[in-house]
Amino acid sequence: MSSEHPDLSADATVASPPLKPDAKENKKNVTVIAALWLVLTAIGIALSIWLTSALLPSSMSTEMGGVRSTVLVFSLAAAPVVAFVLATSIYSLLAWRKAPGSADVPPPDAPPLRGNAAATGIWLLTSSVLVVFLLVWGLSEWSAQQVVQPNDLVVKVTGQQWIWNFTYPDAKVDSHALVVPLGRQVQFNVTSLDVTHGFWPVQLGQQVDANPGLVTTIRVTPTHLGHFVVRCSQLCGLYHAYMYAQGDVVTAKAFEQFLEHHGASAATSAKVALLAARQGGQ
Amino acid sequence: MTTLSDKPLLEHTVLSTAAGRLYRRQNVFTAIATGVVLAALVWWITNSIFSGGAWADDMTTVCMLTAWVVGFNLGIGTFNAVIYWMLGIDQTHEDELYAAGVGQGRKRYLKYCTDHKVVGTQYLVLVFVLFFVGGTLAMMIRTQLLSPHSSFLSPQTYNSIVTIHGMCMIIATIIMVSGPFANFIMPIMIGAKDMAFPRLNAMSIWVVISAVPCLVWTFFLDGGVNAGWTTYAPLSVQDGTAMDAFAITIIVFVVSVTVAGINTIVTVATMRAEGMTFGRLPVFVWGSVIGGALGLYAMPAFLISMCSMIADRATGTSFYVASGGGVGWLWENTFWIMGHPEVYVILIPPVAAMIEVIATFARKPVFAYKVIIGAFAGIAGLSIMVWAHHMFTTGWAPDLAGPFMLTTELISIPTGIIFLCIIGTLWRGSIWTRLPMYFVYLFLWNFIIGGVTGIYLSDVPADNYFHGNMFVTAHFHYTLLGGAMIAGAAGLCYWFPKVSGRMLDERIGKVAFWIIAVAFQVTYMAQFIAGAKGMPRRVANYDPMYHVENFVSSLGAYALMVGWMVLLYALVVSWISGEHAPANPWHSKTLEWHVPTPVPLENFLVDPVVTGDPYGYGEQGPAAAHVTFEYDGDRGGHP
Repeated sequence: MSSEHPDLSADATVASPPLKPDAKENKKNVTVIAALWLVLTAIGIALSIWLTSALLPSSMSTEMGGVRSTVLVFSLAAAPVVAFVLATSIYSLLAWRKAPGSADVPPPDAPPLRGNAAATGIWLLTSSVLVVFLLVWGLSEWSAQQVVQPNDLVVKVTGQQWIWNFTYPDAKVDSHALVVPLGRQVQFNVTSLDVTHGFWPVQLGQQVDANPGLVTTIRVTPTHLGHFVVRCSQLCGLYHAYMYAQGDVVTAKAFEQFLEHHGASAATSAKVALLAARQGGQ
Repeated sequence: MTTLSDKPLLEHTVLSTAAGRLYRRQNVFTAIATGVVLAALVWWITNSIFSGGAWADDMTTVCMLTAWVVGFNLGIGTFNAVIYWMLGIDQTHEDELYAAGVGQGRKRYLKYCTDHKVVGTQYLVLVFVLFFVGGTLAMMIRTQLLSPHSSFLSPQTYNSIVTIHGMCMIIATIIMVSGPFANFIMPIMIGAKDMAFPRLNAMSIWVVISAVPCLVWTFFLDGGVNAGWTTYAPLSVQDGTAMDAFAITIIVFVVSVTVAGINTIVTVATMRAEGMTFGRLPVFVWGSVIGGALGLYAMPAFLISMCSMIADRATGTSFYVASGGGVGWLWENTFWIMGHPEVYVILIPPVAAMIEVIATFARKPVFAYKVIIGAFAGIAGLSIMVWAHHMFTTGWAPDLAGPFMLTTELISIPTGIIFLCIIGTLWRGSIWTRLPMYFVYLFLWNFIIGGVTGIYLSDVPADNYFHGNMFVTAHFHYTLLGGAMIAGAAGLCYWFPKVSGRMLDERIGKVAFWIIAVAFQVTYMAQFIAGAKGMPRRVANYDPMYHVENFVSSLGAYALMVGWMVLLYALVVSWISGEHAPANPWHSKTLEWHVPTPVPLENFLVDPVVTGDPYGYGEQGPAAAHVTFEYDGDRGGHP
């Protein structure tokens, strides 16, 4: 015998007339599930909006803004899907659960619905459309991030167990704190002296690994003044938890001052910055 | 159906005192003794050869642990048959019966036993042991993370615990369903008397058992493995000899998984009963085959990466060392070429097992049988092309971000089909809410959350924020613990009466269920929040701004452990003194419920003849039947 009957209603009719889907019953199922689905979708949308703004760090760069909007949009797209799965499974418990009765005897068999081509088709189509949407959204976001703007600032980032070093090659300045100017694209050229680290300026919404012997690159454009933290996102040994640095987005003028100040006595000020960073971290 | 109470059972055969030859003297204790003696001998030899050399410690550790594994398996009897064959000694039928456990009572569980049901039970116990060890380590991790600056564990101990918790759980989840149930249940489901290669089957369990001490031993060598279960090079090349023990563990485990996977596939290909066409195979059989085949694809990459890791460490090659021209990206690639398919090696068998549960407890045929098998195959096929999504932030091959985003997001289509098939099977079902069904609903809730949080991680720009933080940790615990393990728990509660011969105490089981269900959400929702706020994973201390989330997560984790312990208590108590189970307590249609409980040796007193598919719930007439048993005598000798 065939193991799947694409046309379920015909099959059910042939197999057992008393089990024929009751149109009224089916209508009730669909109506209640649709209502549940709408309510749950609304809850999902509210949660998406609230959680995205409440949990993710406020946007300090174009890239972090992108992360926030991506999370929001994906959550909104997922809400109806999640709501549908939850609505049908909750409804199955409410409406179709059979009281155990005598504990060891199963309830009578349900109608043998072996498949439904229309349902499968709609499901496949919907999920494919969603996947295409996710992909297009992601790719456009990603390609926008690949654009190199003129007059960008290059910062060399070197990870070592368990400290971050930042070098501003044009100004010949070394620092243990990361200072970047507002509104100007920054390119980080990242490498490592020993093992793999993960360079992650958290509130700037970008990260890339620091690999020994290789240079990797990310770019961010800071859009808001303020403080951020650079963390290590790759387990890198004993004090991985303590591998972080302090960072600031400052005005162009303050940035010039920072470079001049550090340029005068790079070694001393690097030490000062390190101490400040250590104290700030605790 | 003819009753056969007068037919003598195979396991009641009285064997001569010579039956079994060397097997008679072998058990787990002789195995340990042989392993220890051989290891000590090899340690002494290698130590004298390499003494003072640059690679002495690593070489000694590798050789000694290899000797332990070989010695243990010599001692248990893994190689007996091969040795007899080389010596030209034929094994008699009596020898084979002895190896299958005849006349040994419970002692056969401590021996090399070719009976697939004994192997399945041994796997089940091993899985519990591994989950217990991994769970205990998780409790230590969560205790350390109760407060931001805790010094409960030193950073080194913390890192080694994070590593072994991860590896222990990965090994346990890979074998949690494919070990116990693909061995115990699956052959009966297809109407086979045993696996196709019973000796390889026994080998697969004893080989993996011999690997476990190597894993545990890493704690006592040079401060443990500090690089996480992913053991990214070059950090792992820096580690002490514990990393050698870790690599040996993996290599030995790969041997076991490979042998088990081949066995499963060949069994289904060649051992099906009359009438058991591919279109009538239960979904769980398909899941076991697809999971096993995917393991065969994934595991060689693990083997190669671990062998070259040992070479780097013990012989001075530089596959992964930048100063010698190597690159850590090579490790990351080979690791994830194994690591992502492996996720589905873990997931597919339990989900397939759960679909058996749903059909039985919704009293309905599986919805869209062919579509769900296609979905499993699609997941398996796609899963070998998605590995680099673990490497979006490594800087490797930025131009491949798009293609890997595509393959990763495509996999949500067949995964979505699984949801469709589950919902379709529940649709208008007669939902019988016994304990296994509770876990099905918990799976639906957990796995939809695990799935949705995965789409953020599949998107490169968003992953650039989430990678390496607690959000990822929460995501894969939702899929692997909340998804795969909960589906596995549904399968366990479903098949418990067949495996143990007793009914599970559902009253205690439901208490356990509710604790697990609630504690799980508390534990990992808190981690989602910590991750979204920017907390990195695998840190021994953290910024006080994440204190509340971590405190709550730790309390949730303690409760979760209590929940699993209550479930374990229910299982143990029921196994010892539960009510005796009837052959088919769920009135299910698949074949394993149509053999007696406890299942006799070689399973079937009469050969089954399959006449229909196994999901004829609600069908009338011939379509309702899955199998008939025809007594040899009635047909004048069964072909």
